[in-house]
Amino acid sequence: MALTSHDDIPTDVLDGAVKPYSRDKIYVLTALFLAAITVVEVLTYAAPDFPLWSHEHNLIVPVLMILMAVKFFTVAYIFMHLRFDKPLLTRVFYSGLVVALLVYIAVLSTFRIWWSDQHN
Amino acid sequence: MAETVYAHESVAQADAHAAAAHIEHDTNTGISNTKLAMWLFLASECLLFGGLITTYILYRNPLEGPTPHEIYDIPFTSTSSFILLMSSLTMVLAVSAIERGDHQRLRVWLGATALLGATFIAGQVYEFTVFYREGLGFTTSRFSSAFYTLTGFHGVHVTVGIIMLVSLLVLSLRGKLPEHRSETVEVVGLYWHFVDIVWIFIFAVVYLVPS
Repeated sequence: MALTSHDDIPTDVLDGAVKPYSRDKIYVLTALFLAAITVVEVLTYAAPDFPLWSHEHNLIVPVLMILMAVKFFTVAYIFMHLRFDKPLLTRVFYSGLVVALLVYIAVLSTFRIWWSDQHN
Repeated sequence: MAETVYAHESVAQADAHAAAAHIEHDTNTGISNTKLAMWLFLASECLLFGGLITTYILYRNPLEGPTPHEIYDIPFTSTSSFILLMSSLTMVLAVSAIERGDHQRLRVWLGATALLGATFIAGQVYEFTVFYREGLGFTTSRFSSAFYTLTGFHGVHVTVGIIMLVSLLVLSLRGKLPEHRSETVEVVGLYWHFVDIVWIFIFAVVYLVPS
């Protein structure tokens, strides 16, 4: 029997899935959440004097990195199904991501990118 | 109750089982080789884009030519970013549609995703044209080379994604994309979402982080 957009996907129908979940509603809510975060990201440019990330506190980069990470993992977990798929796929993806992060943090550190202003 | 169809059966046999059919992959992991290969490919792509983003970070303060924040049009790029983000929604709705056997909506969502992707690329071409006219050529500075290489590589990835989406749309229109092949759409979807998350990274690091 064909499923409707309001039905849960039975575990045995969705290839590789280990947990049943309702679909389209979750996807639309996720997209709204991502859109809201994007608005906040753009606000860091449009309203630079907002107390949370004003020049006074110098928190604009940490705030942007946190928002970016939230968006990144939300897309990976919900839209790319890592939340619902077999854990092996999460490990495969994270292995590439972690290796890339470690390698390039090492590269940036080699170029003294984190403390160049103080030492040059 | 869903009926199990084994991967080694013929396409005709699998088509006969369609509707709520489930392909049980006879691999060690229980995951199809195609899907696992796509995830491995995406993991390796993290290294590619990591290298390009790192290069950009190293060279983001140019010694000559326009500086990033003299030429960036943040409202325009924000709109492009929003369009690409929403294309991830239409992509996942396309996967959802084929998994429940709704081919009409599959085509609508695939078409919408390709259209949103094409809009993003059109925006990127426009942005590059404006930057070039303002004096930022590929060889103007190390910053410009790093910027065009990073965003250009991403643009090529989006373009490849659009080609795959249009191919799926044509296959669907010809009736060659039955429900039991939903994994094909899912794998293309994984690629598309990855392109989106790379842009999430680029948008924050390249455009929004102040110099």
